[in-house]
Amino acid sequence: MSVEEQVIENAKKGKFLTHKCTKCGFLHLSTAYYCLECGSKDFEEVLLDGTGTIATYTIITVAPAGFEKYTPYAFVVMLLDNVKLRVSGFMANIATPADLPVGTRAKITGFDERGIIIEKQ
Amino acid sequence: MEKVCVLGAGSTKYGKLADSIADITTQASVSAIESAGIDPKEIKASYISNVFGVADKQVHIGPVLMSRLGIPDRPSLTIESACGSGSVSFREAYANIAAGFYDCLIATGVEKVTHTGTEWTTTYFAYCSDFFYEGQAGASFPGLFASMARAYLTEFDATEEDFAKVAVKNHDNGVLNPKAHMQKKITVDDVMKSAVVASPLKLYDCCPFSDGASSVILCSEKFAKEHGGDYVEVIGSGRGGSPAALQGREHLTTIPSTKIASESAYKMAGVTAKDIDFAEVHDCFTIAEVVDTEDLGFFEKGKGIQAVREDRTKLNSDISINPSGGLKSKGHPIGATGIGQVVEVYDQLTGNAGERTVKDAKVGLTHNFGATGASCAVHIFQSV
Repeated sequence: MSVEEQVIENAKKGKFLTHKCTKCGFLHLSTAYYCLECGSKDFEEVLLDGTGTIATYTIITVAPAGFEKYTPYAFVVMLLDNVKLRVSGFMANIATPADLPVGTRAKITGFDERGIIIEKQ
Repeated sequence: MEKVCVLGAGSTKYGKLADSIADITTQASVSAIESAGIDPKEIKASYISNVFGVADKQVHIGPVLMSRLGIPDRPSLTIESACGSGSVSFREAYANIAAGFYDCLIATGVEKVTHTGTEWTTTYFAYCSDFFYEGQAGASFPGLFASMARAYLTEFDATEEDFAKVAVKNHDNGVLNPKAHMQKKITVDDVMKSAVVASPLKLYDCCPFSDGASSVILCSEKFAKEHGGDYVEVIGSGRGGSPAALQGREHLTTIPSTKIASESAYKMAGVTAKDIDFAEVHDCFTIAEVVDTEDLGFFEKGKGIQAVREDRTKLNSDISINPSGGLKSKGHPIGATGIGQVVEVYDQLTGNAGERTVKDAKVGLTHNFGATGASCAVHIFQSV
């Protein structure tokens, strides 16, 4: 399975796959092939719960092809719990900024044609 | 290293153009050649920046241009670096002259996309993001910069009206630029009432999709002196990179590549941000100009918005930011933009900027990036 397929399969189970450098301990997205800190290529897999808080987001009304039927929706950047990693994803049914204050609790819940799906907790 | 000069510069009008991509590439190149007063046969090679040539059925445009210029035997390189392509082709030409490989080169940038419509451009431009994490999840480019804007509004003392003032200022400048795409004055109210594209960004916070081409002739100092005519000297050149996706940036309101590229260019030029008289910065969205002016060192982090509020970035104020009208008003033909910025600096420093002239300007800076600043180039120029 490719690295992207592994992310997808775990996201479908509500989990988020990361890579921890076995030399220096730095935690990465699993799509990293070399350690940002020490350059090592040796990683161990760490499966996170996929929970976190919204770091920033936008509500999209003019959408790329294939997303028109979902507008308005949010593209969100979520800070994962207990680590210094963020992950982006699609959040449905967000119409106004009042629906999603920065800091809102959220969780990865799946993966489909809208990429990684994140929902409010 | 050889000293490098810009000997001539020219652009088509930016906007919705009827002519083909090959035609507008050639038109801009011919105007640069005529501005430099050289014979095309003095050009040794070309660097052509273009992203979506496929939209107008013409990729590998370098040889097409060289054929039309009567120099089909000269090598060309077509360069893609998203919205930062133009500054990369300028840099490649700069580096080749600095290294002594050539004494006279042409760098031309072009884009022709308006005929494809908003959905096509929104969709294809999103392919310049880190697609697995961003484009695939429905992020558009307005959406990615809107995410930066939301982070800025959350972190600093700023309002959506403050962002709107950037657009108003750049439209004020663009009205004075006959080549600008959007030649009309707007008000803060116009911006605030325009349709939301990606909250908190509204239509008038966003640059337009534009067609257009820009071209410059670069040469060694020896070539420029022997040739005569107006020229400006390139005194600094820097490039930098950032994590491709916003999620990987240490701060969501800082573009690391801008800091890396500008620090490198300042060091080479032996100047600091305080020495810059005016700057053409990458204002694809109003938030971008604010972040750029901070990352370039003109203002402290979080204070760029205050400078806008206090009109300190207007034409002939503390530092004239985007005297051309910027991407916001002049327009953003993505492959041409980085070269178009150099055209503006050339016009300013050689006394050809008309009503939008920055008074007593000696040192100008260009700042152009690709995507959300995943790649960036900064150049610094000095009048001779």
